[in-house]
Amino acid sequence: MKTEAEIKHALREWIAGTSGKIDARNLSDETPIVEQRIISSLQVMDLILFLERLSNRPIEIDRLKPGVFRDINSIYSGFFHSGSKT
Amino acid sequence: MSEFATTVERLCEASKRDYMNPYSSLEWPETLDPEQWFTSPELISLYGSEAYDRLREPVRKRLSFYEAVNFFSLNIHGEKALVEGLARRLYARGPGGSESEEVTGYLHHFLDEENKHMIYFGRFCTKYAGKIYPDKKMAFPREYEEGEEDFLFFAKIMIFEEISDAFNVRMARDDRLVPLARRINLLHHRDEARHLVFGRRMVKELFTRHSEKWSGRTLEGVREYVGNYLKATWREYYNPEVYKDAGLDSPYETYSAALDEPGGRERRRRISEPCVRYLLENEILIEEPLL
Repeated sequence: MKTEAEIKHALREWIAGTSGKIDARNLSDETPIVEQRIISSLQVMDLILFLERLSNRPIEIDRLKPGVFRDINSIYSGFFHSGSKT
Repeated sequence: MSEFATTVERLCEASKRDYMNPYSSLEWPETLDPEQWFTSPELISLYGSEAYDRLREPVRKRLSFYEAVNFFSLNIHGEKALVEGLARRLYARGPGGSESEEVTGYLHHFLDEENKHMIYFGRFCTKYAGKIYPDKKMAFPREYEEGEEDFLFFAKIMIFEEISDAFNVRMARDDRLVPLARRINLLHHRDEARHLVFGRRMVKELFTRHSEKWSGRTLEGVREYVGNYLKATWREYYNPEVYKDAGLDSPYETYSAALDEPGGRERRRRISEPCVRYLLENEILIEEPLL
């Protein structure tokens, strides 16, 4: 079981690596990744597969709430924190 | 009558001539042994990879069954989005509306045919696999310049259908496949051949009409989106859930490794080549995307 810090680190590295538009060091837990177009809607498909792999469970897109991909904090609380939205 | 209107009229006549009943055009066996070929081996996402080479033939065949279920599932999702978008444009006035009588007439055929495709794709998936693989694509609301949303809608249809049709054409004539799988690919290709002509003409028409008015930033964004959409479309052909259902170990690692395989890249490039060439010729793309 990964810690919160490890999961957020993995998310930061993945987002920066996939986007190519920002350095992981400049990506905070509150950086709005969709609004600032760091991640495009098309890259979210890959992000979902990455999250499934990280959380080791399938994600049902139809049950996702708006804003779940807003920033790293939202992703963490939506998919990894207890009472997750998936 | 413009060249575009003449083409659309010709397509309407062909749709009337080839009108198909999805309930009587296919025979559905009660059960199907999944250890037969349902997808041409060379079109299986893992084909040519180390993971594929390690599989015994019965497992390869089982994988070909789930790959077919995935292919039909992603067609259902693509066509659902298409039907929603086409229905919104039917008889609509102003930007985004079907505008001319000819286009409206063809949209009726387009909608009818896409609905029929979903009937047989859906029946195959639910009857033999008991499920449709879920859609992983998401769209975020945003502002568009005039004509941008319509252009992207039809460009996405064109890309999605061109790749799907390349699979249909190859599998419709592959006599290793079970007859039902071959027949579904054949029926789909028959309609898609018309949709592709319409899609190309529509994309060119909309790009020519609107792109000169777009800002440099919008044009750059459109080009980036089209290239990324091509990549995202191909990603859907690689599904960790398929690998899991076929009994393969480490489905996510298999997925990542398969996407990086040089053989897979070359296959994606080759299959997409006619579509990419059309986008480059019409300056919708200015460089070939790395698929």
